[in-house]
Amino acid sequence: MVEDRLIGFKCKKCGAIAHSRRMVCSSCKGRDFEEYPLGDEGKVVTFTKLWAIPEGIEQLPLTLAIVEFDGNVRVTGQVLDEDIKTGDKVRPVWGNIRKIRGKEVQGFRFQRVS
Amino acid sequence: MTKFGRHDERSLIDLMTESSIRALEHAGATEKSVDAVYAASMLAGELNNQTAIASALVDQLALFPAAAERLENGPAAGASAIKNAYCGIACGMYDTVLVTGGEKMRHVRAETITDYVATMTNMEEEYVHGITLPSLAGMLARIYMERYGVTREDLSRVAVKNHLNGSKNPYAHIQQPISLEGIYGSPEAEVNNPVIAEPLRMYDCCPVTDGAASVLLCASEKAKEYTDTPISIAGIGHATDIMAVQDRKDPAVLEALRISAVQAFKMAKMTPQDMNLAELHDAFTILEIVESEDAGFFKKGTGHVALRDGVTSLGGKLPINMSGGLKARGHPVGATGVSQVVELVWQLRGEADKRQVKGARRAFSCNMGGFGNNVVSLVLERS
Repeated sequence: MVEDRLIGFKCKKCGAIAHSRRMVCSSCKGRDFEEYPLGDEGKVVTFTKLWAIPEGIEQLPLTLAIVEFDGNVRVTGQVLDEDIKTGDKVRPVWGNIRKIRGKEVQGFRFQRVS
Repeated sequence: MTKFGRHDERSLIDLMTESSIRALEHAGATEKSVDAVYAASMLAGELNNQTAIASALVDQLALFPAAAERLENGPAAGASAIKNAYCGIACGMYDTVLVTGGEKMRHVRAETITDYVATMTNMEEEYVHGITLPSLAGMLARIYMERYGVTREDLSRVAVKNHLNGSKNPYAHIQQPISLEGIYGSPEAEVNNPVIAEPLRMYDCCPVTDGAASVLLCASEKAKEYTDTPISIAGIGHATDIMAVQDRKDPAVLEALRISAVQAFKMAKMTPQDMNLAELHDAFTILEIVESEDAGFFKKGTGHVALRDGVTSLGGKLPINMSGGLKARGHPVGATGVSQVVELVWQLRGEADKRQVKGARRAFSCNMGGFGNNVVSLVLERS
């Protein structure tokens, strides 16, 4: 995984693009994919501020959002800014996201483009 | 079923055994043979240190040599078990099957429960980011508010309605009616009803509950041996959808629920308009509104209007969640789908006392696993 660019996967058979890395395409059952850069900026489709956080998360409240990139590709993740609204532009930022069974997990989070 | 609530002094198997005995006694079947026992539970191993719980249940009930197995399908385990019991009977393999769903969860810390339940979301796309079921419900609620004009007041009205229903159900976890002012739009509401997953607050979420529920299924031609008022399973639907909400065509459509409802109505040769009442999976208030639309009762984006107009209250055209729903009856996950059917059987037999829907003959239930991606729908009919 390239750490500064959010990568999705494009099905070579039907062209469907998703951020999820799958073995079988959810649209056509194709099995061949190519990496597809999702772009540097997405738009918040919906979000929540979570006050009942699960184990392994320390940030309270935790802002979570579904973000849409070009081609209607949506990605779920944490947002570093608290005061966001639907339609805000955000960019992916690499970092620690949570602990699972004590182990740090890294991934992309989102930051508002000011 | 057992009373739903907090059962610190009881074990899970104890609750499931009590519920099973009540169902067998109610059917006058304690001395009769049962061919199979299906035990539905999502977290018996994880939270109660008890795996293969169906073997324990058949043992406690001394129903040997009945076949026994546990069904795990997230919070849809209960209705899944009923579906499989139906299939076992319909294929001719069994005549009588006992289905008991149970869960004991309240003894575990809230963060731990939240995390266990969250493990049923998409591991890489959702779970690792801290996604929980309440957070998915919060994001769905926001889409609904911005797209269809659903308000915080509408969401609160679902809670007020279901608490009123629950207050008439002696088996409900929460039997206390609440007022709209107490949870919405007043200074005390800010204190009583803290934010959980914005825009959802505490009273938008079902409680964590212990409890068990049971039904006894038998072949139609045997039903008169057990009761004068048999209730038939007229239709069953079961469908799945893409797991990660982000990857669904429209994150605001519960497609698996929609398809499972269509299947159930088709099998029953009925339409949503033929139903006299419904038990929906209101783990969050927003879900009752969305499900009432995707099941086919109301046009997309108008479920909250039906709610405002009283259509879904007792006395309305389609009372929803007369038991109190997950909101007030409570949500011991593996038991929920079974408890929905228990409520509908009581309603269709005219045994629901103060919450009785007069003259009810046909009813619908849906039980949801994951966040809408694995759904079992049932249509029940008084024969």
